[in-house]
Amino acid sequence: MDGPSPTTDPLRNEFGSLNDLAHELASLQDLALRGSWRSILDKVSRARSLDLLSKPHDHLIYLSYNVLALTKLRRFTDASAEIDSLHDFNSHQYKYESYPQLYPSRSGSMVPFSLRFIHAQLPFKLENRQEGLDRFYLLLSFIRQKIKEKGSNSFQESIKIWRKRENFVLHCLIGHHLGAKDFIVCLDLIRDLIDHDYLDPVLISKLGYIQMQVGDIEGAKGSFHRVETMFNEGKNDGYSSLSEVEFRNLVNRNKALIYLVGKDYVSAVREYEECIERDHTDVVAVNNKALCLMYLRDLSDSIKVLENSLERVPTVALNETLVINLCSMYELAHVNHSEIKRTLSNWIAGVAPDDFDASCTRA
Amino acid sequence: MSTAPQGTHSLAFRVMRLCKPSFPVDPPFRIDLADLFVGEDIFDDPLAAANLPPLLSTQLSKSMDSSDLTYGSRFILQHPSDAMGFSGLLLLPQSFGTIYLGETFCSYISINNNSNFEVRDIIIRAEIQTERQRILLLDTTKSPVESIRASGRYDFIVEHDVKELGAHTLVCTALYNDSDGERKYLPQFFKFVAANPLSVRTKVRTVKEITYLEACIENHTKTNLYMDQVEFEPAPHWSATGLKAHELHPADNSSTVEVFKPPILIRSGGGIHNHLYQLKLASPESAQMKVEGTNILGKLQMTWRTNLGELGRLQTQQILGTPISRKEIELQILEIPSQINLDKSFSVHLNLTNHADRELGPFEVWLSQDSVHGKKNVMINGLQTMVLPQVGAFGSSDFHLNLIATKLGVQKISGITVSDTREKKTFDPLPDVEIFVESD
Repeated sequence: MDGPSPTTDPLRNEFGSLNDLAHELASLQDLALRGSWRSILDKVSRARSLDLLSKPHDHLIYLSYNVLALTKLRRFTDASAEIDSLHDFNSHQYKYESYPQLYPSRSGSMVPFSLRFIHAQLPFKLENRQEGLDRFYLLLSFIRQKIKEKGSNSFQESIKIWRKRENFVLHCLIGHHLGAKDFIVCLDLIRDLIDHDYLDPVLISKLGYIQMQVGDIEGAKGSFHRVETMFNEGKNDGYSSLSEVEFRNLVNRNKALIYLVGKDYVSAVREYEECIERDHTDVVAVNNKALCLMYLRDLSDSIKVLENSLERVPTVALNETLVINLCSMYELAHVNHSEIKRTLSNWIAGVAPDDFDASCTRA
Repeated sequence: MSTAPQGTHSLAFRVMRLCKPSFPVDPPFRIDLADLFVGEDIFDDPLAAANLPPLLSTQLSKSMDSSDLTYGSRFILQHPSDAMGFSGLLLLPQSFGTIYLGETFCSYISINNNSNFEVRDIIIRAEIQTERQRILLLDTTKSPVESIRASGRYDFIVEHDVKELGAHTLVCTALYNDSDGERKYLPQFFKFVAANPLSVRTKVRTVKEITYLEACIENHTKTNLYMDQVEFEPAPHWSATGLKAHELHPADNSSTVEVFKPPILIRSGGGIHNHLYQLKLASPESAQMKVEGTNILGKLQMTWRTNLGELGRLQTQQILGTPISRKEIELQILEIPSQINLDKSFSVHLNLTNHADRELGPFEVWLSQDSVHGKKNVMINGLQTMVLPQVGAFGSSDFHLNLIATKLGVQKISGITVSDTREKKTFDPLPDVEIFVESD
């Protein structure tokens, strides 16, 4: 089905399905969910060459999927060039009000926000960290300005979405500063969020992980204690919406880390097993349990735990970190490990999405 | 890193350094579906604001349903903090890394039977060899491993506190009966170097009875160091108090103070942190016991942590204070008149004490000329040199010096010097004293 018709039909919900939003969007999304990013590139290319995209917003959404696919395939230079082809996100040509026949009584930017995000993140992948940071901080200002404008017009739902984006960008910044080991900046950014009553137990747990990474074990214990208190008091901030199982597992995993740091690997394994019992798709618990088994000198079982998870819940367990861990274990357990790693590689090739970085097997 | 001998062995050692795992960080390209399906300002439209959220919500649940075998979580944000790329997944150490003095070396050692036959009666030994010593970490001589089957393994984990710098060798040996009944010996060597993680520079200053010790710790490692504990252990007769600067965030929001205090981290590759200690001699009597020559103040003990609390511990050598010079003669000003007038002679009451165990003197007291400042504004009135008779062992003698000030305002009495004319020894001048000179 094509996009919305020029005259609004009050009986028809123009947001009923994905295909109402853009040309064959359901199919694009389906490919993305399967990790078939190469197919997405083909589909976009075909749609463009056959001139199937009739509306400006269709072009933008297809461009977004194209750019996303390129980044997933680690073709960062190409992704950057594609975004640059838009020249200016704030241009008149990307505004709804520029096409009153197509979007009657609608105004504002039709640029999907993900493009602004990807535009800010790409420099990091192109060895230009400073440019990336600058873009993120500029994006943050841009978002805050938008929030102010929406506020004066009281667009409630819109404000909510833009606040979500503000939060998202702050989290991206924390991640990038963390990656560069700017620990004090990270702690300040997190502190800032908490000071503004943003009490997400997942974020506070991650604060604990940062404190652990730095060596401040007492600080980490304090953060985890705070998360446990939030769980016991039934507090759960609207942003993170953890289910009860997820929240319980979070508390257990935090406990396990404290045991791990104290070298009490037996207790850590016990905590992780509780998590897996509750939710067998908790891949953090599975991965970390395997590591604890190794520190308990049980290399064979640690390998089994990881292999079983790949077999049982491949779409959840198949991540680069877990595979690197498994390959490290293979290298230790077998003098001639190339054969077993090749078997793993072949299995991965049959199951993995296009964006899986196969170099992690070092096969 | 490993060197194994030539020849056919059924067994082989595999070694992996087992320092703590780490949390990998990699901010991902993961987005919110609302930021992909529609334009960023579409929610301004009340129709969209009403109808889009349910559609987005359905799409999100569909993407995350693990029974549906989707890879949605690889590009869709589930929780806001997913954007950090820091999931809590742990990663095994991927390289040997650097080992530092004060840390604990921990290693997983696996002995593999990569032949098609069982081996028996295996005696395994592991030891660390340095320039100075050999430390045994494992020895199964008393209870040999009965057998290792074909393609089987025997694993162990060893730990060793690194107390020496420089080259270390982990020597793993296996003595075993192979399938032919032949007793074979397999040695394997794994070399590493222990580097120096920190250096400490100290400065000692004494002001009256208090000694101040400034210690500057410099981090030579490749990671930031969390200084868990830095303590000064004073030598006998000394007491020490650490002095801290004011807190940097005096107006702390109490909810965040509960959560964390910013940690003291010394930046990697040359970062420094300074500590200041105030030291006092435990009892006034021990001041008399100052021994000539060196003056031992104590040691600095440091405990630091790196990734996931990995611990390191070091202490410095004895830190020395300024050497005590033999103070045989002590000159002090006892009293200066409260009113000093311009061009009017005034009398300063001084005391000379002999701390030595023999008679010293006779002495001469004068005001030394300070070539930098030239003419003095406070001079001796009368004979420029005062002669004092001998002073007996541990004795003292009071005397008066007549001075005159030739300029108004705040002036200095400087350079009061005493010398022993018999032993031809001149002692350091007294520190400057300020006086206020009024007009008549």
